Amino acid sequence: MKKNTLQKVLATAMVGAMAMGTLTGCGSGENTPASNDTPASASQESGSQTQEGGDTAAVPGIEGYTAFADQVTLTIPVYDRGKEGVPAIGTGDNYWEGWLQENFGDKYNIKLEFEPIARGGVLEAYNLLASAEDLPTFLMEYDYPKQAQWVADGFLTTYDLEEFAFIAPTYYQRMVDLNQIQYTTMNDETYFVLAERPYYNTNYTFITWVRMDWLKQVGYDHIPANRAEYVDAMTKIQNAGICAHPAGGSMTTGTAGMDQNYAFRDYPTNEEEWAMYGDYAIPALGWEPNKKLLKEANENYNLGFTDPDFYTIDAATAEANFINGQAYQYSAYISADMPVLKSFYENNPDAELAILVQNNVADTDYGTVPAFRSNNPFGMMIGFSSQATEDEIKAAMMYMEWCTQPENLLTFQWGFEGEHYTLDENGLPVGIADYSGDKVQGFNNNKDYWCVTIEARNAGTIEDMIKASSPKGLPQDFTDDIIENYYQQVAAWEKGWVPTDCMFATDIPAVGEYQGALLTLYAELRDALVMCDPAKFDALYEESAKKYADAGYSEIAQQRLDALKNGLSSRMK
Amino acid sequence: MAKKSDANKVVVKTKTTWKRAWKRDWQLYLLLLFPLAMVIIFNYAAYPGLRMVFMDYKPAKGYDGSEWVGLATFVKIFKDADFHRALKSSIAFNLMDLLIGFPMPIILALMLNELRYPRFKKVTQTILYLPHFLSWVIIGSVAYTMFRTSSGLVNIALMNAGLIEQGINFLGEKWHWAVTYLLVGVWQGMGWGTIIYLAAITGISGELYEAAMIDGAGRWKRMWHITLPGIKSTVVTLLIMNLGRIMGSNFERLDQFGNTQVRDFQYQLAIYIYDKGLSGGKYSMATAVGLFQSIVGLILVLLADKVAKKLGEDGLL
Repeated sequence: MKKNTLQKVLATAMVGAMAMGTLTGCGSGENTPASNDTPASASQESGSQTQEGGDTAAVPGIEGYTAFADQVTLTIPVYDRGKEGVPAIGTGDNYWEGWLQENFGDKYNIKLEFEPIARGGVLEAYNLLASAEDLPTFLMEYDYPKQAQWVADGFLTTYDLEEFAFIAPTYYQRMVDLNQIQYTTMNDETYFVLAERPYYNTNYTFITWVRMDWLKQVGYDHIPANRAEYVDAMTKIQNAGICAHPAGGSMTTGTAGMDQNYAFRDYPTNEEEWAMYGDYAIPALGWEPNKKLLKEANENYNLGFTDPDFYTIDAATAEANFINGQAYQYSAYISADMPVLKSFYENNPDAELAILVQNNVADTDYGTVPAFRSNNPFGMMIGFSSQATEDEIKAAMMYMEWCTQPENLLTFQWGFEGEHYTLDENGLPVGIADYSGDKVQGFNNNKDYWCVTIEARNAGTIEDMIKASSPKGLPQDFTDDIIENYYQQVAAWEKGWVPTDCMFATDIPAVGEYQGALLTLYAELRDALVMCDPAKFDALYEESAKKYADAGYSEIAQQRLDALKNGLSSRMK
Repeated sequence: MAKKSDANKVVVKTKTTWKRAWKRDWQLYLLLLFPLAMVIIFNYAAYPGLRMVFMDYKPAKGYDGSEWVGLATFVKIFKDADFHRALKSSIAFNLMDLLIGFPMPIILALMLNELRYPRFKKVTQTILYLPHFLSWVIIGSVAYTMFRTSSGLVNIALMNAGLIEQGINFLGEKWHWAVTYLLVGVWQGMGWGTIIYLAAITGISGELYEAAMIDGAGRWKRMWHITLPGIKSTVVTLLIMNLGRIMGSNFERLDQFGNTQVRDFQYQLAIYIYDKGLSGGKYSMATAVGLFQSIVGLILVLLADKVAKKLGEDGLL
């Protein structure tokens, strides 16, 4: 090829590539397949007696499903937790997404698309998708306030509960059985479908490990059972030169759930205070339990238990510090394969860990109770996008019902027998750790996919479930202690120390207006309080509380109180 | 006869028509389409979207469904104490950035220009350019590890050298943070900033240097009387352009260097826009602040241009 011709070809190709690259970002987010706009009745095959797109005259449930006449696109949101070693979401290079398409999508002429939602920025992610008119077919979140915000912002559409009961009878009946129907409405309109959260009144999957070998070195044969013992043990660990800052620490995330103060509350709690300040979405700076919590954090900091650089240490560095033997404790959700614990034992072969089992004795001298937050009595809250067509919403309901079928859920959660799990003598699945084939599951056994129906892998009794998901392949086995922790948490629930947060059946506008700014402000104020001179703590706390209240928190509290008084919220049990 | 002489005339076409220019340089014009499209799409096509600053814009409702609120968003912003805090910090830090960061590439370009050994010069230039290609996420992460009070490499080195007894809280105390933040910014950008000045220096006639050398001018004199005046118009142009950015701020840089203890200084307009606007879905608010930044930037550019012209420079416009 002549040089001149080559130049021309190259120039044309470059321009073409660049123009395409530029213009691809300018597409509309609107759903293109015209078929998606087809009303459900028009998409039925003539004379069909079976359900297609929710024909109410046909057979209810999965038995009645037939393929849509025109292809429907179902966009499924999946949390992207930024974890390594798990398949990417929505890129086409994910075995389990292909498995869903093949076993569910292709069968009913539904094209499945998967939308990764950054776990650290759920509201931002959905806001951007809404602006681009590209919301997934349904929106999922664990937090009631976020869903309330989406209702207020018009992201969600109402749906017909009877129609849902017809398309997804198994799912619907479970909602009835679990007494979840009361949570389906907002402002008297039906918006939400609720997934199941087994054993919601405990946190049995979230475990704290402590350095038992360190405790033994300083004369303890048990984990400190109260504040006085804790301070004594940490001081001895410091003085023995074992660890300079045993409590470690990391930066506050500025997200919902930080600084939970359940242990510092009075029980029974005043109902109005519970409604105004008791939720975990926005920290309650200015409420007495929060003050007590921060005072303890201040004491830990000034005693040197906390790493002085804690506010610059991210979660990954804090994890590395534990692995490197520079922290007394580590908390995480359990799973059969826990790389952090494996790395810990590789680095500290002589170390001994113990699990912090729920201790149901109130620390009367110090004024705390071993309380913790109960989860909501449901898993994911699911609302349907206001940008979705009728057929797409029906496809979403069909998907939810399909995922709820035991045989589908078993494969989705556990994988394939012989590859991902084996069956024990009771016929229950036992996960195989370190699976490295081409069918690697998503984070936490595909949970961010099947959470559309349930929040945990079901496999027999609670003890069976814990046995299946307790960490494997470690020098120590923690199964019995995790089971014991579960039963102690149930006992705490029975004592009334595991409150559920107040849920509002109406939008609280001030939450949407101020929540983001308050979370950021809280992180700033609380770190200053943690690091201040103990003698100046009270004065600084008052000043900070005023600033926080003026920044919108008092308005939120007032609107919550009004909702409680108007009967638009749950009541304290 | 007359006909013959006409036929012998050579007609020289001097006028360049569009047709002829296209035929000759069509590849170049095609290549120009790309940046043109970029400018049109990203700088002008988005203009109609600016009307959201006068609306309580809700993404799900779109422009047609969102409520028209007039100047209410601006009133809300200007009444917000956090906005004033962010504005103050933005102006202060951008001025300091300008004060410290602007002369550095000029000084560096002058120094590089004096290097005589070509290979050493090239290697030095490459090393100086490299930080520009590192993302702020990487720079922030490395900085936090290196400057940690108790376990950071810098503090350990300073303590081992006996220069300090206690670790300096480089990134956790707001005044120390300000210095570190500014210097890291200079380190990241100065190498890349030299490119334009070095290009301008190559445009200076070598004869001027030769003449000066014959007259006995040393390096400093040549730099002061030939190089610097030679790049003066480039310096003025870039200064005017930089003044236009006095209200801007780099979100990635601020975000990566942020922590709760330096919020007073780190809370600048980019963070304000993200925290109060984007993360809460308040696009009207975020756009209004962005528009405010652009308008102030434009006014500053126009003013600076006018001042430069009055001082006898070419200016920008």
